[in-house]
Amino acid sequence: MNLMDIFEITREPIDKLGLEQRLLTGAAGAIVTFDGVVRDNTKGRRVVSLQYEAYEPMAVKEMRRIGAEIREQWPDVERVGFIHRFGPLKISESSVVIVITSPHRRVAFEACRYAIDRLKQTVPIWKKEIFEDGEEWVEGQAPEVSQ
Amino acid sequence: MSGNAIKINVLLFGACREVAGISEFCFALTAPADVASAWGELKTRFPNLEKFERSALFAVNEEHARKDQPLQDGDTLAVFPPVSGG
Repeated sequence: MNLMDIFEITREPIDKLGLEQRLLTGAAGAIVTFDGVVRDNTKGRRVVSLQYEAYEPMAVKEMRRIGAEIREQWPDVERVGFIHRFGPLKISESSVVIVITSPHRRVAFEACRYAIDRLKQTVPIWKKEIFEDGEEWVEGQAPEVSQ
Repeated sequence: MSGNAIKINVLLFGACREVAGISEFCFALTAPADVASAWGELKTRFPNLEKFERSALFAVNEEHARKDQPLQDGDTLAVFPPVSGG
């Protein structure tokens, strides 16, 4: 793990440009940023807002673990940054921003894709969709560790 | 240590927290205890948790854990549905 990597959970709006700037070094030739934003519909139903809940200390630990996995698989990665927001979020607000920098683009694309896919499997965060006429927790996929 | 009582801190998240109506509490289990015996006790106290029998996930001291993981005095057990962040 690199001490300059960033793993944060916050109630505040995510400063995406700020995160990119904090991670940018002279050795980087590419920054790939994944920005997950709140969508206004799900399966044809109108979504008004989302409510995110996090097991904060464990979520940070699990993001850190993904950062370590990335550095093992793609040693050329220069910097890794994750910020996940929780609390109430409006349509089009960012719920998660992941930034990967590397000397060349291919590694940053691959590592960023891996980062968001893993986050959705292991990081203890849950979201509830608030509809005009009710609300529902989003069911995640059960990983094999449970059995 | 068989037969001794151990204290477990329990945290519930997401839909599990909502159906149990509580997010955090402490309870005693008879040693030897594991995640499965704690889960059994939780379902007795909060019968609505039964609907998560097949899907509930667990963490012990902030690490993902299986049902056969032993529990020690003072451990923190988190119970939650499959994660849905991102």
